[in-house]
Amino acid sequence: MKRKEFIKKSTLTIGAGIVAPYILPSGRLFARTGTEKAEHVVMVMFAGGVRQQESILGRYLEDSQGVNGAAGNIMPNLFNGNAPTKKVVYGLDIAGQTKGSDPIPRLLSDSLANKGMVFNEVRAQSAGHYVGLNTLLTGSLGTAQGLKTRPVSPTIFEYLRKHRGFKATDCWFIGNGIGNSTPLLNSSNHANYGLDYGANMFIPPITFGSYGRNILSNSKAYSNNELMPMYEMKNFLNNSFALEDSRQTTIKNTDDERTHIKEFMRGIYTKQSLGQIAMPPAASSGDAFNVAYAAEILKEFKPKMLAVNISEVDGCHSNFTGYLRSLHRADHITAWLYDYIQTNIPEMKDNTVFIVTPECGRNLNPNPILDENDWVAFDHSDANALRVWSLMVGKNVPKMSVGSEGNPIGRLTDLVPTIADIFGVYDDVMNAGYIDPSAMSQFMRV
Amino acid sequence: MRSFSYKVIIQLIVINILIFNIYCTKEIHLNYQVNAANIYETKAQKFKAKNEAEYISILYTNLYQKAIDPMVLFQAQSVLYSIGDQNVAKEMLLSGYFNNPNILIPSNAEMRKDIPNFITETYKRFYLRYPSEAEKVYFTNYIKNKPEVTVEMIYTAFSTSDEYSFY
Repeated sequence: MKRKEFIKKSTLTIGAGIVAPYILPSGRLFARTGTEKAEHVVMVMFAGGVRQQESILGRYLEDSQGVNGAAGNIMPNLFNGNAPTKKVVYGLDIAGQTKGSDPIPRLLSDSLANKGMVFNEVRAQSAGHYVGLNTLLTGSLGTAQGLKTRPVSPTIFEYLRKHRGFKATDCWFIGNGIGNSTPLLNSSNHANYGLDYGANMFIPPITFGSYGRNILSNSKAYSNNELMPMYEMKNFLNNSFALEDSRQTTIKNTDDERTHIKEFMRGIYTKQSLGQIAMPPAASSGDAFNVAYAAEILKEFKPKMLAVNISEVDGCHSNFTGYLRSLHRADHITAWLYDYIQTNIPEMKDNTVFIVTPECGRNLNPNPILDENDWVAFDHSDANALRVWSLMVGKNVPKMSVGSEGNPIGRLTDLVPTIADIFGVYDDVMNAGYIDPSAMSQFMRV
Repeated sequence: MRSFSYKVIIQLIVINILIFNIYCTKEIHLNYQVNAANIYETKAQKFKAKNEAEYISILYTNLYQKAIDPMVLFQAQSVLYSIGDQNVAKEMLLSGYFNNPNILIPSNAEMRKDIPNFITETYKRFYLRYPSEAEKVYFTNYIKNKPEVTVEMIYTAFSTSDEYSFY
C-alpha cells in the first residue's frame, strides 16, 4: 500500500471510529435538540372513563342524577370552581357523619388549570379503554387494534428512543394491573420500531404488591465482580443463539441498566419493610399505590418520558357514588404526583411538562344499576363518551384555556405529536406515517 | 341324563382346533437392526417461546428437582408479566432461587474437577442438547481462566439466556 493511500484509509477509519458511537438508532448523527421545549414529560392517563359533566364542567349531581342545586367542582387541584354544598358524599369518611361528607383538602395552592394550558373539549377517538389508551400512547386511530395484543402502531416510547436516542431507562410505562391488555402497552410489535425501542414497565400492584414481595424480595444482591462474568457468559450464549428481532419477546436494557433496575427493585422492597414509601396523604387505593411507585421511579431514574395509568373511576359502571369518590381521589393523587416532582426531584422541577388526560369519556344516559344512594350508573359507549379534556402544565407551556363545550378543539391523538414536539422530533414522528392524519401538536392548535 | 354321541364330540374338537388356528398366531419378534440413540434438540429447532408459566415451572423443577406449588407458580407468573424487561424479571427470580438452601446444583469443586463433563451436562440440563465444539472451548477456557466463576454464575447465564426461553 502506498503511503498516501495508507494515510487516507487510516484517517477514514479513525474518523468512522469516532463518529460511529454517536449515530442514533434512526441513522441520524445528532439528536434534534433545537426546538426542545422541556427535558422530561410525565403523562397521567386519567382515570378509567371520565364524564365531562362531573369533571371539567363541575356539575356534580345536577346532570347525572337530576338533583337541583347540586353542581360543584370535585376536582379542586386540577380545575377551578367551588365545591358542591349539597349531598356531599365524595370526600373522606368521618365517624358519626354521612359517609364521604368531608372533602379532601386541596393539595396545590393553585389549580393546574391556572398554571398551564387546558383544552376544555377534546374529541376522543374511542369510547373504550384499551383503544383509548392506545390512542394516547400511539397517536393513531386504533381502528385495527385488537385486544390482548401489543399496539399495532409504534408508541411514543419507541418514537423517542429511535428518533431522540433515549435509552430504555429513559422511558417508562406504569400500568395499573395485569388484566386485559395493559401490560402490553410499553411497546408495539411494529417492524420498524417494536421491542428494541420499547419502554421499561412495572405494574406496581403486582411487582411491588404481595406477589412481588413473596417472589422477588428474596433476590440476591450480586457485586459487580459477580455480575460481570454472568453477563459475559449470557451475552456469549445469546450471540450463539442469535435470536432474530422478529422473535424478540421482551424489551431490552443494557447490562448496566438491568443492574440499576434490579438495585432499584431491591431498594423498594427494603423501603417497604421500613415503611418509607411516600404515598398521597389522603388516599390509599390501588391508583394511589400506582402513583406512589411512579414517583419512586421518577426520583430514581429521572426518565425523559413516563406514562402512568390510573383507572378506579371505571367503577362508574355500577356505582356512581364510588365513581365520584374515585374521581375526587384521582384529582388528589395526580396533584400529589405533580407536587412530588416540584418538591422532591430538583432535576425535573423546572424541566418537565406534566400532562393529564382521560383515555375516554362516559355516556350521557345512565344504565339502570342503582348504588347505595339510589343513583344511576354510567357505561361508556355513546357520543358523550367521546368527549374528554386535556391539561398540560410545565416548562414552556403557555397559560391558556382553549375550546369549550360548544367548540371542541383537538383530538386525543394530538398527545403523541405534542410530546414529540416537546422533545424536538415532531417532523420525524409525523413523517413516520403512523399517526392519525388529523392529529397535530397542541402547541400548534393554539 | 343326556348323553353325547362320539360324532358330536369329534365335531366340537374340530371346531376348537379351527378356532385356535384362526385366532391365535405366534408372536413374531422383528429386529430391524436400528441402533439405540439418545434424541436431543438442536438450537435451530427451537422456535416457540416458553410462556411465563412454562419458563418458571421448568426452571423450578430443574433447580429443585420437584414440581412448583401451583400458588407460587401463579404468583411468579403474574410478577414476571408485570415487568417490562423479562431479563430483569428472570434474573431477579433466579437470584431468589439461589438464595434458597434447598437448591440442587453441583458444587464448584465438582465443576472444576471435570470441566468438559460439567459443560456437557449443563448444556443437556438447560438446553437439552450437546454443546458445539466452539461452545465447549469457550466455556472450558472461561472457567479455567477465571477462578472466581461459580456454578451459580454459569447456571444464571444459561437460565436467563435467550435459548432457554425457547423450545
